[in-house]
Amino acid sequence: MKVYSLSVVYAPPSSPSVILTSASDLSSFSFYQRGSVGEFLTFFSKTVAERTAQGQRQSVQENSYVAHAYNRGGAEQLAAIIVTDQEYPVRPAFSLLTKILDDFTTKVPQSSYSNPGSINFPDVQTYLTKYQDPRQADAIMRVQQELDETKIVLHKTIESVLQRGEKLDNLVERSNALSAQSKMFYKTAKKQNSCCVIM
Amino acid sequence: MIMAATSTPSSDLQTTSGVDREIEQGLDVEILRESAKKALINALNSVVGAKTLVLDPTLAGPLGLVTEVALLKHHGVDKMFWLEPGPLTSTTTNVVYLCRPLIKYVKIIADQIKGHTKGSLKHTYTLFLVPRTSTLVSRILEEEGVLGDVSISSYNLQFIPTAEDVISLEYDGAFKELWVDGDETIIYDSALALDVLQKIYGQYPRIVGKGDYASKLATLLTKPLPNQPVPVVSPTPSSAPIDSLIILDRRVDMITPLLTQLTYEGLIDEVIGIKNSHVELPMSLLNPPPAPNQGPSQASTSTAATSIIGEKTKKYHLSAVTDPLFADLRDLNFSSVGKRLSQTAHRLDEEYKARQQAKTVAQLRDFVGKLGGLQSEHQALRLHTGLSEILLPHTRTDLFNKSLEIQQNLLASYEASAQVTAIEEMVAQGADMQTIVRLICLASITMGGIKTRALDSVRREFLQAYGYHLLPLLLSLSSPPLSILLPNPLPPSTSSTVTTSKLPFSTVRKSLRLLIDDNPEALEEVENDISFVYSGYAPISVRLVQCAAQKNGVISNPVVDKATNSGGTSSADHGDVVGEGTSMDAKKLYAHPIVGWKGFEDVLGTLPGKTFDIPRSVNATTGTNPGTTLVPSPIRPHEQTSTTVVFFLGGCTYTEIAALRWVNRQHRGRKFLIATTGIISGSSLIKSIAGDGKVGQDSLRDSR
Repeated sequence: MKVYSLSVVYAPPSSPSVILTSASDLSSFSFYQRGSVGEFLTFFSKTVAERTAQGQRQSVQENSYVAHAYNRGGAEQLAAIIVTDQEYPVRPAFSLLTKILDDFTTKVPQSSYSNPGSINFPDVQTYLTKYQDPRQADAIMRVQQELDETKIVLHKTIESVLQRGEKLDNLVERSNALSAQSKMFYKTAKKQNSCCVIM
Repeated sequence: MIMAATSTPSSDLQTTSGVDREIEQGLDVEILRESAKKALINALNSVVGAKTLVLDPTLAGPLGLVTEVALLKHHGVDKMFWLEPGPLTSTTTNVVYLCRPLIKYVKIIADQIKGHTKGSLKHTYTLFLVPRTSTLVSRILEEEGVLGDVSISSYNLQFIPTAEDVISLEYDGAFKELWVDGDETIIYDSALALDVLQKIYGQYPRIVGKGDYASKLATLLTKPLPNQPVPVVSPTPSSAPIDSLIILDRRVDMITPLLTQLTYEGLIDEVIGIKNSHVELPMSLLNPPPAPNQGPSQASTSTAATSIIGEKTKKYHLSAVTDPLFADLRDLNFSSVGKRLSQTAHRLDEEYKARQQAKTVAQLRDFVGKLGGLQSEHQALRLHTGLSEILLPHTRTDLFNKSLEIQQNLLASYEASAQVTAIEEMVAQGADMQTIVRLICLASITMGGIKTRALDSVRREFLQAYGYHLLPLLLSLSSPPLSILLPNPLPPSTSSTVTTSKLPFSTVRKSLRLLIDDNPEALEEVENDISFVYSGYAPISVRLVQCAAQKNGVISNPVVDKATNSGGTSSADHGDVVGEGTSMDAKKLYAHPIVGWKGFEDVLGTLPGKTFDIPRSVNATTGTNPGTTLVPSPIRPHEQTSTTVVFFLGGCTYTEIAALRWVNRQHRGRKFLIATTGIISGSSLIKSIAGDGKVGQDSLRDSR
């Protein structure tokens, strides 16, 4: 699963949106493709931002790309867009969008919105890199992963505890052998004219 | 030496043969253990300060069932020594002796005291005699001049619970004292012990029994006995009141202990030897195994047997309370044990595999919760699989099978004289002494005596093979009062007591249906008669109990008859006992009240020994009119469980216990409480008759 790009967009309702800051990771594409992919991602992000109503979240799929958008609106009229592949889990994506918007509004003054070039927000790149592995980055996913790891450890511990006893298979075998060999202790014909000896 | 005792109260849920019993609460016997423990504590506390305890070796086993060493240390016991000849070095001033009132012990004590006096060592001596004081002891101490130095008291150790339905005096010498020495002390001691039971659980409304000594015991019980301290702990009043006491002389049924026991617990006793519920097992069976990749574990039976011999052993307490798997296995015929073990192994396997289905942490937590129980089941499975693998090779040796064949032929009276020849051949083949003695006694009893010439020949072979020091043993067996090894015809000088004490075996075999004529294959699947304990032969003693307590089980076979309406087959129909094809599991027959030997008086008459049936008058404690001497009404309030106490005077075997438990399962409303002077086997009987000299081996295992 991959995150391709992450952007914070200024999205007033009726005017075109402006990308205030963005970061992308095009390492999975060949050198020659990167230019056109990059352009596509910008276009995709802007379009989705414009088409997302304020206060709304949505996800849009285009071929193998999925854009998750959260238009927070509010005083700043900001939206955040993340473009990922189809595998990427949805919930951490949205929690990242919320987080990045919070960070952005705290760190970047509203006055700089008119001049995107001047905005210095390195966090967007940091987040992008970090969230390539959502399980590490996202708190809930981390807990889930730790839970999974604990289960694996539990399983292993139980296995090792069970190993310490004599292998049950061995006991199953031996008890089967015992039951096959057991005879009924009849040694003699009790009826006078019977000649069978039950062994 | 002394191991921890379990003291958990027991509820009576036995699941055997896959048939669940209704939960019927039996008498709580744990209070007997508590009472014995308290009495010991009181005895110890009566001597103030640190003390050295000098213990009679035969008491170690029984005490170990009552308490543990830690408790003794807690009550001031500094050091413990065996009571043996030789001087005693004690670091404490107080010296406490705990022993049975035997002359040899008293002499040792006197010597030790005199030794101390000579060395001017100052000690205070206290002597606790088990179970009661004896004037003989005081006399000897007086003669030795030490009576003034010793304060004599008693520690009244009587019945000890060895299972939830078995209480035992753990007195190994009972049989020999009664039937070789003619010493009847144990009868009085048993009366006292049974009297204490009455005081706790209620008077015996009826005393039924068979045998001369049994009759003496019964008479003692009907007379007032000296007051004894009753246990401090009192039982819950309404659980399963006693409805009768059945007393059986060991001498009435000598055949049963002579036979090779074929139940799991019985076979363990035969091959390895169980002493005071403890058995010596190789350490590798008891300790957790090494890590799995340390060499092949005992995968094949033969390597198991050879690698275990010579290994260090440890004592293990065989108890159904701590080991539920043992509870399932103990009374099964050994041929079914393998199957049961295999079923358990498969079930355990399923349970373990269930962990792989566990997805959530909650499920895993549940599994871990069960893990403890599964692990202990696993360990029990391991122990019993290993133990069965020790027993199995013994059951496949030529000598074992030859012995079984001779036994079954003798019981069927098939080619009797050929069997005596076969026994001689076994001597030549190196059979151990115990086996041979048991077989010739069995031959003598079932055949009504061995042809004189054959008997002489066997005797000669025997003494030559095993040693002339065994001549006293043979003499004890042949002479009154035991008289079980007899020539045929009896010499004219024989006293009439011997002639009247002979068992008319073929008559009894028919009248008590001792041999099962059914198709043996049918018996494989269903235990449908008590004879499963000897693979086709029903113990006479238990048949007698059935005559009193399960009359429809004697002549006919309630399980086989269940499919057909069997109203008329039993000649002993009484009242509500008509067999009506009731289904075994759901509607078990309700146990009929004890009305003595009614219906079987003739049969009982043919057996040697007194027959008695003594109804008692109900006294004030049971709440009815004390003035009348009416026999208490045999009609019990419905749904009430009652207890029938069966007392074996002279000892009983594990197979008899298993058979009685089987009878228990055939009906509702009655629970047997098995009481005995001790648990015996054929070998332990012979050993005790042979006496203290170095005679023979302890068990088959030692002789290999």
